[in-house]
Amino acid sequence: MPSDGPAAASLDASDTTLTPSPRVRRVRFYLTNEFGLVLLIIIFGAAFTFAVPRFLSHFNLFILGRTAAENIVIGFAMMVVVVTGGLDLSVGAIGVCAAMGGGWLMQVAGLPWPLAVIGGLLLGAALGFVNGWAVVRSGLHSFIITLASMSIFFGVMIFITRAQAFRSIPLSFASFAHIRYFGFISPLLLLAVVIMLALVYLYRLTALGREMLAAGARASAAELSGVRVKRVIILCHMLAGLLAGVAGLMLVARNDAAIPSMAGQLGQDWLLPAFLGPVLGGTLLSGGFVSPLGTLLGSFLLTLLTNGLLLLQIGQFWVEAVLGLLLLVAVLLDQARRSFIARRRMI
Amino acid sequence: MAEFLFEALGISKSFPGVMALQDVSLQMREASIHALLGENGAGKSTLIKIITGIHRPDAGELRLAGTPIELTSPRDAMAKRIGVVHQERNLIPRFSVGENIYLEQLAGRPLKPLRYPELYRQSRKWLDLLDLDVDPATPVSRLSVAKMQLVEIAKALALDSRVLLLDEPTASLTPHETVTLFKVLKRLRDDGVSMLFVSHKLEEVGELCDQVTVLRDGRNAAHSQPLQGLGRQDLVQLMIGRKEQIADWPARNFAAATPALALKGVSTILGHRDIDLTVKRGEILGLYGLVGAGRTELAKCIIGQFAVTEGSVEIQGKAVKIASVADAIHRHGIGYVSEDRKAEGLILMHSVLANAGITVWRNLGRHGLPLTDGRIRSRIEPFVRRLEVRTPSLAQLVGNLSGGNQQKISVAKWLAAGVKVLIVDEPSVGIDIKTKAYLHELLRELSDTGTAVLVITSDMPEMITLADRIAVMNDYRIEGTITNTRDYEEMSSRIMSLIHRVEAA
Amino acid sequence: MQFLSRYGRTDWFGPLLVTILAAIIVGSLSPSFLSAFNIQVLLLAVAINALVAYSQMIIIAIGEMNLSVGAIGGLAAISFAGMMQVWHMPILPAALLGILIGLLGGIINGVIISLTGISAFVITLASLSIYKGVNLGITEAQPFYGIPNLVKHLGNAPFLGPLPWLIIPTAIVGFGLWLMLTRLPIGRCILAVGGNRHAAELSGISIRLTVIVAHALSGAIAALAGILLCARLQIGQPTIGDDWLILSFAAPVIGGAVLTGGHVSVGATTLGVVIVAIITEALVLFNIDPFLVQVVLGVLILWAVGINRLREFRLKPLRRA
Repeated sequence: MPSDGPAAASLDASDTTLTPSPRVRRVRFYLTNEFGLVLLIIIFGAAFTFAVPRFLSHFNLFILGRTAAENIVIGFAMMVVVVTGGLDLSVGAIGVCAAMGGGWLMQVAGLPWPLAVIGGLLLGAALGFVNGWAVVRSGLHSFIITLASMSIFFGVMIFITRAQAFRSIPLSFASFAHIRYFGFISPLLLLAVVIMLALVYLYRLTALGREMLAAGARASAAELSGVRVKRVIILCHMLAGLLAGVAGLMLVARNDAAIPSMAGQLGQDWLLPAFLGPVLGGTLLSGGFVSPLGTLLGSFLLTLLTNGLLLLQIGQFWVEAVLGLLLLVAVLLDQARRSFIARRRMI
Repeated sequence: MAEFLFEALGISKSFPGVMALQDVSLQMREASIHALLGENGAGKSTLIKIITGIHRPDAGELRLAGTPIELTSPRDAMAKRIGVVHQERNLIPRFSVGENIYLEQLAGRPLKPLRYPELYRQSRKWLDLLDLDVDPATPVSRLSVAKMQLVEIAKALALDSRVLLLDEPTASLTPHETVTLFKVLKRLRDDGVSMLFVSHKLEEVGELCDQVTVLRDGRNAAHSQPLQGLGRQDLVQLMIGRKEQIADWPARNFAAATPALALKGVSTILGHRDIDLTVKRGEILGLYGLVGAGRTELAKCIIGQFAVTEGSVEIQGKAVKIASVADAIHRHGIGYVSEDRKAEGLILMHSVLANAGITVWRNLGRHGLPLTDGRIRSRIEPFVRRLEVRTPSLAQLVGNLSGGNQQKISVAKWLAAGVKVLIVDEPSVGIDIKTKAYLHELLRELSDTGTAVLVITSDMPEMITLADRIAVMNDYRIEGTITNTRDYEEMSSRIMSLIHRVEAA
Repeated sequence: MQFLSRYGRTDWFGPLLVTILAAIIVGSLSPSFLSAFNIQVLLLAVAINALVAYSQMIIIAIGEMNLSVGAIGGLAAISFAGMMQVWHMPILPAALLGILIGLLGGIINGVIISLTGISAFVITLASLSIYKGVNLGITEAQPFYGIPNLVKHLGNAPFLGPLPWLIIPTAIVGFGLWLMLTRLPIGRCILAVGGNRHAAELSGISIRLTVIVAHALSGAIAALAGILLCARLQIGQPTIGDDWLILSFAAPVIGGAVLTGGHVSVGATTLGVVIVAIITEALVLFNIDPFLVQVVLGVLILWAVGINRLREFRLKPLRRA
């Protein structure tokens, strides 16, 4: 292990600040992932505007923002599990289950939409709990647990609903996806930002969030330092289920209907955006490090690219290939960036 | 015919900020078992890594039977017939014994069908040589650790290795298995094989080896000397450069003190039986034993990671049931400084602030107030300062600190948590001498303020420096507890006899 | 008792018992189950699903996972169909090219994974999207209908009693894999890398090459599965492979595969495929909602992985008692 050599000796033990100098902090800022993402968003936004002036129309910005909101929350759902060192393949399935649950409560049970939303979210959290409990109890990796649970949850849901959609969603609820503030801002996007702020608060300012990071970075050390790792894992899966439910309900509002195929077979259509957002945002797939802002920016960037490509008439069928390529490039770049920073031994 | 089968001459190696080896030499003869000794941090593992091809030396040369060689990788070392048996097993668990011995063959022509009967027949030769009575078709995972080790030796021999490096081979063997191993090694020696025996168990070295090289602070303290005539005290003096010195601290009396931690008739799920152990407030109890005696395992049971199946555990005089590690720490005030600092004691990828503060998050975050970095800082900063941790900032990643500073952080977090009972497991492994002495002072001070300290160490001088009383553990039982008179000769012989009493039976 | 414990340790004994039991139960409840026609239908499903399972099994053997199995299969299938329909290519070259596409797809996966060290999960998630995207881009979600009659015939008809033509390529591949994994160095290397990567490397096995070969094989086998399915469905359907993910893991796991690598069984995996096919058939015969198949697969995976883990534990006890 490298020692803290001459650089460290520049501050001796009597120094009262123990914080890095302003110059170092400024350099580190520019190297951050978040700054890079903002830059990319601006660059691509400018490029698309130049190519297709329609890009900056109020309507398109509204669609962009609304779709981004969905992808952002899907990304958050995966992010909170990845942070603790696991994977959740069932985010799509849980999202659809929560959406169908909410739809059922609204249409069949006739509940007012706030109660139905709460019901759907509770269902999402409950399914997340099942995942978390199974992972902790069995000691198996969350990959295989959520691979199995994704098909079990989806299968049961299809069985119960007979693959029928709920199309009588009350307007008061669906309107959330159609209102435009200032002509181009969707309330769903604001919701996504609020969720991001809540997650930042969780990871920076609460004991639970810090424990989640510790458990993800090194579970054995966290355990021996008093972190209840098992409880933390169950909670993060519940949170993921809750967030998946939010995303599912957002889609219900957008579609004016709760459709079982909204996330594809077994919900696997969500897998790509669920990973792309966090990976672009700098979340370490091995756990222990998180950036809610990064995930938000990453998901926003991927939505921007998709939107732009569609406007350029690239054809919706090629978009998935482009996104796959984007994920590949993103992980490769991230790998390179990390080894660059490690070699310079900056923080 | 060259005089020496293997030589390392004038080897130097440095890493950023650290001079690991300076002009170190070692010469191995045919038909000899050569001991490599040195304290932790003396450069032993760096030298081993150079000999096995993991690192390249900055200066000096390696010679095989008189011819200079260069090792580019572990694979290259194996190809040059330098066999190694590491501490961790390097076998394919589901493959058979025979296939593991001849694993090299798989790297040849990928489409040439393997002939198993032939393979098993050939492997019999090595199994017989090592007196290993197993069917070559047995999957390796079904064997005991001792037999697995012999399979690895067979593997090295099958590669026609005349030079064999054994790294702490008896670490996970029972005393009986060790005897069997030594018989095999002596027979190999008589056959002409040259072995490098790396161990910290001086008794074993004395019994087995005929030559010795001692490293101290990256240099030769002794270079390929015959072992005859060197007693234990001589070897120790070579390793630490002075007669084992015990800090001259006044003895303390704890007759009147209240017990902080008491184990009565405790048996555990890991195999401990009938453990009686008491640590009084302000006392330092040493727990001595050889590797594999079950001390770390006992510590992990006390801290709540594994279950206590019988008997009672008392904290401050009250019987308690410790349900989990979090329970032990937050409810009963027990702390545990792990022997495996990098995997269990610290989170290397996180900052000093996150590592030192991890034990106080629950407490500070109690009333729902935002748990800001500032609040954590004000709680842990005094301790980071007091321990004189050298770090440019609290945001520095712990993985970038030196071993000594890392260890200080792993202690600081317990001080910050204000634990009443602190278990310290092998505190000075991989630590420089200065930090080691500092940690000893710190533990003494800590106990003076009322904390009960349980120190687990295999380092006899450290034990006798620190402990007020010493409990001796062997084979998952307590053999006896004695008061520390601070007389090194007396204490070490009493401890050894407590351990070896089992051997005589 | 000793007989049972000796066989109990093998991978195929449990699944064989379950298969026989399932066949007996279902057969007695629904006599048409054991009819020649039904067995033929069963074998058609098994022929294709077995290849899907083998494709994943190889990757499980090196201790990784391949999410792009279905995407490669789909891409190969539409390429096969498309080349025959649009370029009027004869059957055999089209099929070979289709398999080649799968091989290349697998090689790309293997190269990127072994060169960058990034987890196979992420890389194959990315490649899954890329291959699927290329598939959709070419077909625009429209199937190719121009499948030659010979292909349609081979994809459904029997050649001997209830045995369909489709079972032949599967049997050849299965046998070949078994031979490779038990007798050929390249197969043993794959299992060695999965069993203990570090030890394998020390003994001179090239991890890089082994990983690439494994992924190449996986891609080629997945492509073959896609082509065969195309023959059976009689159209070049772009959605081929969309539902392969769960199945590709379920069968090897039921067959005793350990997800950390180093231990797989061709025979037991095949039995796993048979079990799944029987259960699926049974659900249809008894008029149970076919959507429940998904649930059953999920439960089977959990049960099988749980049992495998117990068996692993018995190999290495926690500590002396």
